[in-house]
Amino acid sequence: MEVVRFVVGGVLPYIAVAVFVVAMIHRIYTWKKLPSPSITLFPAPATSRANAANTVKEAVLFSSLFKGDRFLWVFAWGFHVILALIFVGHFRVFANVDGVLVSMGMSEEGIQAMSAGSGGTAGVVIFVTAVVLLVRRLVIPRVREITSWGDHLALLLIGAILITGNIMRFGPEHFDLTLTRDYFATLASFGSINGAAALENNVFLLHMGLALLLVMYIPFSKILHFGGIFFTHQLIRKT
Amino acid sequence: MTSTAKLSSEEIKGQVVDAVKAIKDGPRAMRMYMETCVKCGTCASVCPVYFGKSEKRYNPAERTDIIRRIYNKYTTTSGKVFGKLAGAEDFDPEDIESWREIFYECTGCRRCATYCPFGIDHSVITRKGRAILDKLGLTPDTMAKVVQVSLETGNTDGAGPDAFRAAIDFLEEEMKDEHGIDVKIPVDVKGAEYFYVPPSGDVLVNPEATMGVAKVFHVLGMADNWTMSSKCFDGANYGLFTGSDADMKQDNKLYVEEAKELGTKTLLMGECGHAYRIMKMIMEKAGWWGELPFEIVNCMEWTAARLEEGKLEFDKSKNSHPVTYHDPCNFGRSCGITEEPRAILNASCADFREMYPNRSDNWCCGGGGGLSAMDDIIDFRMEISGTKKLEQVRETGATYIATACSNCKRQLTQLMEHHEMQVEVGGVHDMLSRSILINGKAADREEYV
Repeated sequence: MEVVRFVVGGVLPYIAVAVFVVAMIHRIYTWKKLPSPSITLFPAPATSRANAANTVKEAVLFSSLFKGDRFLWVFAWGFHVILALIFVGHFRVFANVDGVLVSMGMSEEGIQAMSAGSGGTAGVVIFVTAVVLLVRRLVIPRVREITSWGDHLALLLIGAILITGNIMRFGPEHFDLTLTRDYFATLASFGSINGAAALENNVFLLHMGLALLLVMYIPFSKILHFGGIFFTHQLIRKT
Repeated sequence: MTSTAKLSSEEIKGQVVDAVKAIKDGPRAMRMYMETCVKCGTCASVCPVYFGKSEKRYNPAERTDIIRRIYNKYTTTSGKVFGKLAGAEDFDPEDIESWREIFYECTGCRRCATYCPFGIDHSVITRKGRAILDKLGLTPDTMAKVVQVSLETGNTDGAGPDAFRAAIDFLEEEMKDEHGIDVKIPVDVKGAEYFYVPPSGDVLVNPEATMGVAKVFHVLGMADNWTMSSKCFDGANYGLFTGSDADMKQDNKLYVEEAKELGTKTLLMGECGHAYRIMKMIMEKAGWWGELPFEIVNCMEWTAARLEEGKLEFDKSKNSHPVTYHDPCNFGRSCGITEEPRAILNASCADFREMYPNRSDNWCCGGGGGLSAMDDIIDFRMEISGTKKLEQVRETGATYIATACSNCKRQLTQLMEHHEMQVEVGGVHDMLSRSILINGKAADREEYV
């Protein structure tokens, strides 16, 4: 078990971040330098600034999907927005950001309530949306017939991360933020994680290990769309 | 088309794999489409073909995945290591025959791109598939024939200069009958300001559009300012449809050279969506032939601008029947020309009706991407790709569909006949031709064929 703790807790974080950063930069750089003849699709924004604004709108609101498939939009948009919120929420796990929140006028009780309330709700709701997306993939013929292993794998991986996350929040065992903050501070300063108390929690270890796998998986899988969307819309709306 | 010689399986596989591997080096859109799809199925729900028949082979994402699986197999590490688990699969030369069908079951209408959350334009991949077939000499015979005729004669109908002149004489006589005066269609006039290039169908099959354009010039007192060419009277360019950039350029070059030869200031493209798109959005943008001594304008834009100036008058009672407009994909989605045809139809028809959805959201007629010219797949066009359009037309209650594309016209005419609908199909300037006032009088004619 010590070996697992060392590998997942002490080595994988560095590898995952490095793989993600290098692969994403490489990917975006290769996309950027490819020749790109115009293949305009109308209505196209008249200026490149308007085009950029449209791309941001697409990335934030999924406006084309809203027009194309309203049912999917509700769950896909909900899924991504909550995912973004959960990502932001995790800053409290990595470091003590409570001070910043207090200086913004929040009370300690308010922070606790927000974390337990919105964080808890988000964890449950996103799990439901993920299940709906998975069921949709299995049930609707036009989606099922184009679904491959990779599509399921991405969803199942995220599902497993969500479940372990929810266990930590709602499970009987008390989850101690101070311990994870200490642990991440050690990681950030490249210190020794030997005996880090946070890693004694096996659910946490599993949760983090899966999350790191996901991070590494992004540049090599369909999840790459998270970078692609900023390019593909620009391409066809360019007059 | 390069060769028609029979290739061995190994040769076919080699060429296919090389062509797919080349996607890694761009164009950017093509490579990004290989790497960005999340398989959400939205494209299928907005595709006219998949609407007509919801089978896997008609699913746009599946068609693109045919290429993507080979791409993953040969260019990605995950594909090489994990194979099918990473969406990678080797190309089987046995599949090439089915490719000849599958890549000609997409109308290239780009409706998928309008609704895809990532703006993935599956027509780009369809064209790639067709380009691979073309290089192998495996373009379907009906399509290959059109390209061959077009490159040999300068037009897709294979008509020579004499046939063209005879057709123009006929149109001038018709207009004389209609109005009792001479309305000229100048041919091969050097130094004319405008050079009008319609699809050849608008001279030989549905010639009213060309009469309409001639009448506009006449009314404006500009009958001496424009010309047609007895060599170049067909903007249609099937290189776009077979995926052959070389053929597309060769076909296009003839027209650009003729425009230069005539010393024209404005290349006035006719009611043909892909012809205008190639000139305006592809040739001019990419600068194929360097700086051009003329500007490229569509005849609908031009006429709509004259309407705006209040220079044209109409007797709408000549077009009292309900008229609807079908936005050709290449005008609506690919060139942004949507309001101009409506301005012309509203000015010349008493009962203009929209079909829904319209403009850039319009459904394809079912004959896009050159399919309209393929009579060997007419069952597919009538019973599958055209079904949504049939439904849309029915809902309008119109008895005339105006559209600005010879391929749409052919498909719609066949579709209406096939489904026993009493609906006439024609152009936008056709409606103008029937109701425009010349010396205060509209055309005197009862029957139109």
